[in-house]
Amino acid sequence: MRYLSRRQLLAAAAAMPAAAQSGSLTVPGKAPLIVHNDFPEDLESLPEYLASWITPTDKFFVRQHLPRPKIDAGAFRVNVGGMVSTPASLSVDDLRKLPQLTLAATLECAGNGRGNFQPRIPGLQWNKGAIGNAQWRGPKLKDVLARAGASAQAKYVDFDGADVPVGKVPEFIRSIPMRKAMLETTILALEMNGQPLPDLHGFPLRLIVPGWDGASWVKWVNSIQVQAQSNPGFYMATAYKYPKVAPAPGGAVKPEDMDVLEGMAVKSFFATPSPETKVKMGSTVRFAGIGWGGENRIARVDVSTDGGATWRPAALGKEDMAFAWRTFSFEWKAARPGYTVVCCRASDAAGRTQPIDAAWNPSGYLNNSVERLGIVVEG
Amino acid sequence: MKRALVLLGFAAAAAAADPAMIERGKAEETRSCGGCHGVRITRTQRLSRGNWEKELDKMVRWGATIKDREAILEYLVATQGDDRPRPTPEISANGAR
Repeated sequence: MRYLSRRQLLAAAAAMPAAAQSGSLTVPGKAPLIVHNDFPEDLESLPEYLASWITPTDKFFVRQHLPRPKIDAGAFRVNVGGMVSTPASLSVDDLRKLPQLTLAATLECAGNGRGNFQPRIPGLQWNKGAIGNAQWRGPKLKDVLARAGASAQAKYVDFDGADVPVGKVPEFIRSIPMRKAMLETTILALEMNGQPLPDLHGFPLRLIVPGWDGASWVKWVNSIQVQAQSNPGFYMATAYKYPKVAPAPGGAVKPEDMDVLEGMAVKSFFATPSPETKVKMGSTVRFAGIGWGGENRIARVDVSTDGGATWRPAALGKEDMAFAWRTFSFEWKAARPGYTVVCCRASDAAGRTQPIDAAWNPSGYLNNSVERLGIVVEG
Repeated sequence: MKRALVLLGFAAAAAAADPAMIERGKAEETRSCGGCHGVRITRTQRLSRGNWEKELDKMVRWGATIKDREAILEYLVATQGDDRPRPTPEISANGAR
């Protein structure tokens, strides 16, 4: 993968004609972000925002399928129904009265890195910043399901948000299997990084499915339905599916040969320095980045400063847990002049390691190719 | 026959690059797409003709009323085809307090 540096991004933006910049779009509450769309907002974090363990909310990426709803917190209710003994309608206060859990978890769009696949694939052309790590706080989903008396025979739980489809666009409804729903770590967040969820991130209630693709983390949740089967709608039956067997790049895959995406892949990338950074020979260069392994903790990150010929372990950050990314750093003395390709590669506690090149797939999901970062050493 | 086909091919290419049609296609995109979502989502993509056709098909299924499909397709292929350079990313202004 070859990424644009912040300097290149800003220089390019500055060089754009006024008409193309119409942009200088300002999103209230958000620091400068890469704009993929403005209505609804789809915004990507700049790589340098991703160097810290917690991503500040104002620098956190945004993905929306449908225009976000305006919600009156006082009138808000989440309805819990389907295969339950006592259908419930819970207010924000009701949810706050349940035991609360704070959990650090990384949220990543399934299509993060789609823009780096070849052949090109329709959809948001994310580079590497459709990812962030935050502290989420709210009641456990299992407690909410218990409150309504969810049936032991149920197999799935459907989540729908207050966002409303435009035209004939299908409702954005996602299901998760009961085995994930009942985990202690699957929560309904009321807070993000110590504050009530912002509108863009699902105020007042967002499902947190640690280690799973961002599409599962339904925002503005106002309906929870306990079911015998996964939802038959578009966003479970057609979208967010991955081939059981890898096709040749550009190839088609039959719907019956796809599985629903669940846990995310192991991956890593550099937050700093930017690609094509120039350094003086003899200087020490500090690389910083993150590794994450979906539902698994990160066991190691290795760095190569010779294009992948040899690898050395990076220093890992002290925060070490499943579901949340792990920071890493690596210092390198630039001893020889010339263009140098620096790579990073993560391995998780389940024994998974990044491939050199991620498998191409028709929707451009799970791009966890080893990053190649070019550094120019000047003699 | 072969010569005729080659000439036909040139004619098709010339038609595809017709600036008037591309302008029409751009206006049609604003009219038929812009009511439901921002058009930045198309301008940040670079897709083959086949993929743009599929995207138009999907949007029609999802409720878009496209009156001049030929023009919109030629506009997308000419300006956002997979042979076009990757677009310059747009960075939003600072809206954080």
